Amino acid sequence: MSFREKLDSGKFIITAELSPPKGTDFKSMLEDAELIKDIVDAINVTDNQRAVMRMSPLAACSLLQNKGYETIMHLTCRDRNRLALQSELLGAYALGIRNILVMSGDHPVKGDHEGAKPVYDLDSVQLLGLIQELNRGFDLSGNRLEGHPDFCTGAVTNTELNEVSLIKLGKKIRMGASFIQTQAVFDADLFSSFVEKINQIKSKRIKILAGIIPLKSEKNALFLNKNIAGTKVPENLIDRMRKAKNPEALGIEIAVELINELHGICDGVHIMPVGNHGSTRKILEKAGIL
Amino acid sequence: MIISRQKELKEILKTLKERDIFIIGCGKCATKLHVGGETEVLEMKKRLSIAGKNIAGWTVLSSACNISSWEEVLSLNPGIGKSDVLLIMSCGGGVSVISKFSEKQVYPALDTESLGGIGSEILKEQCGMCGECTIWEYGGICPVARCPKGLLNGPCGGGVEGKCEVDERKCAWDEIYDRLKKLGKLSNLEFIYTPKNHAKKMGRKKN
Repeated sequence: MSFREKLDSGKFIITAELSPPKGTDFKSMLEDAELIKDIVDAINVTDNQRAVMRMSPLAACSLLQNKGYETIMHLTCRDRNRLALQSELLGAYALGIRNILVMSGDHPVKGDHEGAKPVYDLDSVQLLGLIQELNRGFDLSGNRLEGHPDFCTGAVTNTELNEVSLIKLGKKIRMGASFIQTQAVFDADLFSSFVEKINQIKSKRIKILAGIIPLKSEKNALFLNKNIAGTKVPENLIDRMRKAKNPEALGIEIAVELINELHGICDGVHIMPVGNHGSTRKILEKAGIL
Repeated sequence: MIISRQKELKEILKTLKERDIFIIGCGKCATKLHVGGETEVLEMKKRLSIAGKNIAGWTVLSSACNISSWEEVLSLNPGIGKSDVLLIMSCGGGVSVISKFSEKQVYPALDTESLGGIGSEILKEQCGMCGECTIWEYGGICPVARCPKGLLNGPCGGGVEGKCEVDERKCAWDEIYDRLKKLGKLSNLEFIYTPKNHAKKMGRKKN
């Protein structure tokens, strides 16, 4: 069953995130993928995340697809104008990539090439609209395509939303996003009120996959709060991490607790570990969703 | 108003190898911003003299980007003819216009940042010069200029507590939201804005 069919089936979805290598050696990426083989429904592949230059997600997705993994290719608006976005998407489909996760992308000043020209020719709402056009068989200028894609598209969001952000999320849904992957969740109550907000704006059922980052240490929790917008580790969890004899084991335990709490509220989880997927299988087993 | 800032003197001296220099300031934006008016031109003259340069003369044109007669500028400023190069203390527009009419080697003393304004404070990045102004849709706050990503359909989610992810500025989209609320036009936010037509930017396309 494909990722899209699984979304439609109502099954509890599990996705996990991988980063392409910084360089041409993709051995460790494939090793990391091996750790989550057969336990996730699709692997998300990031697009120069945090504006740090890495191998293109199209190439990395293709390498993974050749090994039998289904991928969700991230596509940011930061680095490509509308010509490049469209040719990237056509190439991706031709290489077997069926799922695209759309986002604005962190600004270049946040990354390791801060002098890079920021493109943002389209924004995430417009990029979702563009993919709809391609799916219909036309490019952005209305020219007919010779063979067209049929992408399943997703959008990203923070879970603490002010009104203007919520309106934008509504537009992403109107422009064809069929699933949402959220920033890391650390508070099930807050997440629950987020889901209620979504239920008020949407006209169709959209699948919501909650982001999960297994904490590594107190320092790691503080780093997330300081550096990752839309991620807030609450004081009580930071406190527990501080007091833990084995912080990594506690991080796994907290992730399991969160997944259990979120299980009835969302349609799936998206695991984004710091480092590799060494603990992912254990977390999913302990949470009883394997 | 064109927003410019002064280059560091050592940076100017790196390229300015010639000896006889004529300095031109600008009476408009650069004067208002205190980066290329008479005071700054005289300060530059002093600093270049200390650095061993010969200042063949100086002037502050009423507007460096508006030259009705270069001959008149030349007749009023004989030092221009005696100089090797012109050091221009105006925005890039002024530097380019003077270069065109003088046909001399020009060097800029300023770096040009953005199209902005000045009130009780300097307002940078007010207009993105996109060639198809739709600022009313956003309550009079231009997202092309004010949002570092130029996003037309809402904020990116990178801001923290109302602050932009790029620097200390407030999120432009929070400001747009507040203004539209005040104007009773929050419904504008629901509209899906299509991508900009960049061919209009330089007047290459009219519609």
